[in-house]
Amino acid sequence: MEIEQLEIHDFLQNTHPLNKLTADELKQLTAAIEIAYTARGETILEPETQNQWLYLIRSGAVKRTDHQDGLVAQFSSQDFFGHKALERGGLIKNKVVALEDSLFYLIPNAVYQQLMISNNDFKNYFSQQKNQRLKSAINELKTGQENILIKSRVADFLHHQPLRIPANTSIRKTALMMRDSNQTAALITEQNRLKGIVTDRVFCTKVVTQALDTEVAISEIMTQDVITIGPQQTGLEAMLLMTRLNVRHLPVVQDQKLLGMITATDLIHHQSHNPIYLVNQIHKADDQKTLIQLSAQLPTALCKMVDADLNANDIAYSISSIGRAIIQKVIKLNLKKLGKAPVPFAYMVAGSLARNDQTAHSDQDNGLLLSDEYDEQLHGSYFEQLAAAVSNDLNQCGYVLCPGDVMASNSQWRQPLQQWVSYFNRWINQPEPKALMYSSIFFDLRCVYGDVSLFQSLQQQVHAMIKNNRIFLAYMAANAQQNKPPLGLFRRFVLESHGAENKALDMKKRGIMPCTDIARVFALDAGTEVINTADRLSSAEAAGIISQEAAEDLVDSFEFLSMVRLQHQVKNIKLGKAADNYVDPNELSSLERRHLKDAFELISTYQDVLSKKYNQGQM
Amino acid sequence: MFWNNKNQKLIDRALRLNPMGQLKNYLMTPLVDLNLPALSVDYLVLDFETTGLDDQRDHIISIGFTEISQGRVQLNRSQHHLVKTEKKLESDNVSIHQITDDEVSQGIGIKAMMNLLLQHMAGKAVVAHYQSIEYNFIQRISEQLYGHALPMVMVDTLQIERRKLQRLFRPIGANQLRLFNLRNDYNLPRYHAHNAMEDAIATAELLLAQICHRQQQHKAVKLKDITS
Repeated sequence: MEIEQLEIHDFLQNTHPLNKLTADELKQLTAAIEIAYTARGETILEPETQNQWLYLIRSGAVKRTDHQDGLVAQFSSQDFFGHKALERGGLIKNKVVALEDSLFYLIPNAVYQQLMISNNDFKNYFSQQKNQRLKSAINELKTGQENILIKSRVADFLHHQPLRIPANTSIRKTALMMRDSNQTAALITEQNRLKGIVTDRVFCTKVVTQALDTEVAISEIMTQDVITIGPQQTGLEAMLLMTRLNVRHLPVVQDQKLLGMITATDLIHHQSHNPIYLVNQIHKADDQKTLIQLSAQLPTALCKMVDADLNANDIAYSISSIGRAIIQKVIKLNLKKLGKAPVPFAYMVAGSLARNDQTAHSDQDNGLLLSDEYDEQLHGSYFEQLAAAVSNDLNQCGYVLCPGDVMASNSQWRQPLQQWVSYFNRWINQPEPKALMYSSIFFDLRCVYGDVSLFQSLQQQVHAMIKNNRIFLAYMAANAQQNKPPLGLFRRFVLESHGAENKALDMKKRGIMPCTDIARVFALDAGTEVINTADRLSSAEAAGIISQEAAEDLVDSFEFLSMVRLQHQVKNIKLGKAADNYVDPNELSSLERRHLKDAFELISTYQDVLSKKYNQGQM
Repeated sequence: MFWNNKNQKLIDRALRLNPMGQLKNYLMTPLVDLNLPALSVDYLVLDFETTGLDDQRDHIISIGFTEISQGRVQLNRSQHHLVKTEKKLESDNVSIHQITDDEVSQGIGIKAMMNLLLQHMAGKAVVAHYQSIEYNFIQRISEQLYGHALPMVMVDTLQIERRKLQRLFRPIGANQLRLFNLRNDYNLPRYHAHNAMEDAIATAELLLAQICHRQQQHKAVKLKDITS
């Protein structure tokens, strides 16, 4: 019987990076394997002894304890361990214990060393540190990223009809028509044949500077040799043509018939996958019904961006921009109904929308900051009506009411500046658990509408309170330890129970939130006002609070976790399910699971760093 | 121990018959020491596919074996052989083992099979799951070929489990002692294939698991604690 027919061979072939071996390499490896079993609780690798194997877990799970910093990592089926000892000549540093009854495939050191020389993928897998591995995983995720204009056709951009005018139209009339139809160019046609083009620029370069009579026919100043493009040409060709010839308008012509026109703006809209287009449409909307329809397009926009391999941070930024455009529009429409506000105010959003971390419709988290001129007797009912209407309209748009009632419609969060300052004062100086919860919500705050100077005044006072307040930072650092990333995957104890599906990993609670919490503490310490997680980390690095390596590790982990969550959400949207945060480990490949584990381990390491840095002797 | 005496008598009698080749080598190699720690013993783990359970009437279709050395299954010392037989295969067994008459006619003969087994069994404990097939067939063939039974140190993984459950006064379910159900109890993976070599490997892994668990209860498990 041939070794390839063994079930063990199939298992090896499905395990990364052994799937990258040649058929011969895999055959030799399979033949050299020895199989060992360890009962739960028994030690597999004992520090200060010698190891001569690369261990591959077939079934069961193990725990590795780093003797230097006490960090624990768990490994399960398809994971490897023991190679670090092989790299240092066999000396074992970290203890490995069986968490469950486990079966191992043992690969002899000689085979391991041979493959480290002969197979590049194998070598890369085992020689990279987990942070490097994560970085190459992110790059791998993005290799599909190419200019999507290549894939698009000019015909895809022909959304609206250009302005067509006869050659004898006067310059003045042309200008009026362009203004009324909101166009930046007009095409001069004769029986659907293109004769010439004028753009808004010609009114500057010819009409005004040469003091032309505006009653003259437009044909006098039009460009006659019009550069055109065919409908089957790609978006990229259109862009190159525009750049090369320095034009912004390209009439689309087929068989001498004018089909329409594309503009530089059309290409930009397309390249950013609709979010800008959607944001523009939201700005143009003038009733709640239109807004609800536009908001319903958000999942589609998300899918398009993920499918185009944009990075997670940019996608979240775009989705958050849409969210902010909607809330701004909702406020505007309601102000129109209620009339001018009696005193200055600032509408603030908190949480993911403020951090630019939003990936889907989420709960509302908002508050209303009022000027100190506010008098409850006189102005109370106006703002109460405004806030209630805004929350209700946002709810209709898919941003559901906050279960914790952190919304301006709750009078607690609809207060004058003084009151907000005293809230922050209390949270910072009496940091009991509820205060810390509010702190983690309201330290991620952004003004979306109204009087920005009011908002800045609040921010300045709050930052003055935190500055050099080590005790508060210690509390926030301790609070950032609350959500621990899972140390091993796919064992039942790391999977959250939630509703219908019972076993899934809560990517938000176990990965994204811990990372956000860490970044917040570093940013508060750095005294920076930026709130986006990636921005916070680079600001903290610039301020010398954390090393460049730490900033990069955390940014990469955050990006990878966000990407995994986005891909899960897109998959769900396409299946007609809710874009939730619960990833079933079975959705992931063994490679993705490995990278996920790296990201979780890095976050866990920095939670530890955080705790050592801020909590020394304080808690 | 009567066990050893019985084996010693077998050896003495067999050697008087002036054995040759692998049989002589087998008989001259000392039997494995029953007082050795169970995990340091060398084992040959066997699995036979047969046309039926009756060692007098039925025939061996194929054999598979692997070795355990220093507490680890040695994949590179695993073998699988088809065995020639005159008897036509019955359709029932063909569907289980997916071996046809043609393939069997290409296999090794009974004598060659015994030489191979003697070569690999020498100095080792022999392991099977439900030994009455492997042990009984070997003994019947030995009587036919050599005129006497073979001295063997047998370990039966089914027997180990049965005795463990009896010690704990636990009832034994109908299919509980089947190889694949027992593997599940020890958190061993599910193997899909069904042939003699994979079953031998599966049995070898089960034996390791049984010894490791026994070790957690009683410190030093010796070979004599698990032999049949």
